[in-house]
Amino acid sequence: MTEADPEPGHVEIRGVALAFGRRRVFESLDCSFVRGRISVLMGGSGTGKSTLLRMIGGLQRPDEGSIHVAGEEIVGLGEIGLARVRDRLGMLFQNGALLDSMSVFDNVALPLREHTDLPAAEIAERVHDRLAAVGLSDIDDLLPGELSGGMLRRAALARAIVMEPEILLCDEPFSGLDPPNVSRVEALLSHLNRDRGLTVIVTSHHMATSLRMAHRILLLRNGGCVEGSPAQLASSRDSAIREFLGKDGAEYLAHHGHEFQGADG
Amino acid sequence: MMNRIRGLGAATLLQLEEIGEVVRFGGRILRATTRPPFRWRAFMAAVYDSGVLSVALICASGLTVGFVLGLQLYNTLIRFGAEDSLGTAVGLSLIRELGPVLTGLLVTGRAGSAITAEIGAMRTGQQLDGLRMMAIDPIHYIVMPRATALAFVMPLLSALFVVLGVFGAYLIGVELLGLDGGAYLGSLEAAVEFRTDVLQSLVKSLIFGLLLGLIATWRGYSCEPHSAGVSRATTSTVVTASICILLADYLLTALWSL
Repeated sequence: MTEADPEPGHVEIRGVALAFGRRRVFESLDCSFVRGRISVLMGGSGTGKSTLLRMIGGLQRPDEGSIHVAGEEIVGLGEIGLARVRDRLGMLFQNGALLDSMSVFDNVALPLREHTDLPAAEIAERVHDRLAAVGLSDIDDLLPGELSGGMLRRAALARAIVMEPEILLCDEPFSGLDPPNVSRVEALLSHLNRDRGLTVIVTSHHMATSLRMAHRILLLRNGGCVEGSPAQLASSRDSAIREFLGKDGAEYLAHHGHEFQGADG
Repeated sequence: MMNRIRGLGAATLLQLEEIGEVVRFGGRILRATTRPPFRWRAFMAAVYDSGVLSVALICASGLTVGFVLGLQLYNTLIRFGAEDSLGTAVGLSLIRELGPVLTGLLVTGRAGSAITAEIGAMRTGQQLDGLRMMAIDPIHYIVMPRATALAFVMPLLSALFVVLGVFGAYLIGVELLGLDGGAYLGSLEAAVEFRTDVLQSLVKSLIFGLLLGLIATWRGYSCEPHSAGVSRATTSTVVTASICILLADYLLTALWSL
């Protein structure tokens, strides 16, 4: 299913193997994430979607293989080297991972205060701008524990994009959001990708949204992955892929005038 | 039999590996203290949490221990007609041993366990990973201010404990049992020397603070990322730090006596 892509991978995964005890998560995984594209990682529970994001962020070392992020091999880098790479990354964790003793404002402002010399007024302006972009206002002084799950995730997304990273890693950004906010976050990610050339890597179970926004979909299964455009995957003859995509896949094809044929399995 | 030996060997290797990791972790904290900016705000907040909020506990404990020491030592000394030496006995036992050790154990239970639980909860909630992904070193941002605050407050709290203990023994010996106040304070002043007693006490409590800071932050930082893991790490902090403080007390006393 992997199609030859002429563009260089912004993130390249080569021969990655990882096991937790006896459970093998990846066996010689090869995949790449193209610069300036939205890639959606899909797969059943336990197939390693979040783990793959953590590996790209340098939070989890693979047992074997190499991971290049923005041209730099990160496997084997120490914390100082990883910090240099992470300057170019933003990450939205599944649970938000906001510091629970800090207000929402301070959480979003934290990377700006740590890594820039911006005056307080400009930091406040940027923080409010990012919070507004994710549909949050008047929550500056609230603690993360006082937010709903959806608000928490949106505040965390605001923090992930406040430093204008090159690559944005989002672990289940739509989970727990109501439909208007799913649309809002989808629009925001598409906007950041389109207007700022941000490379976006998303894990999601939100089939319809993923098919709509993704340039590429990577389906993790059996320790490896199948990748292609949404149309390619939706028209796959592989029954497991078709079953996974379900009726959203069929609707996507119907809407885009494809048929269930053409791609291999 | 061979299996038991193998098991023992494996357990020993694991322990040695952990000791190595703790030493490396201590080195990272030390390096973090030299890397600007020093986290003054976080340091002061940790001093407040670990130090100021422990003052009531230390005062109550110091006073109570002073009451008991005053009563027990008076009853013992009077048998030998040496009750005028109460100030000496109370002062030396509190300054050299009881002050630093009991303060160390009390701060371990109150502040050390809290720091482990706090950092452990941050690890469980992926907050430490969140900091790493923002290219912020959690050792520098979270661990270093708390560990240095423990080392900073321990000598101060120990000194407070000693003062309250001496005062408690004074209340019992002089006000309750009728010992001469001048004799109590005079024997205390005559017996206590700065280098051998006060300095030893301060150095001991500083080392206990460093040990507790290392153990409490390490246990939280390396705990298994779930609630049972945090609970185990908290318990382990209290047990490990208490044993280390008692062991270090013996070693330091022996070294100082050389």
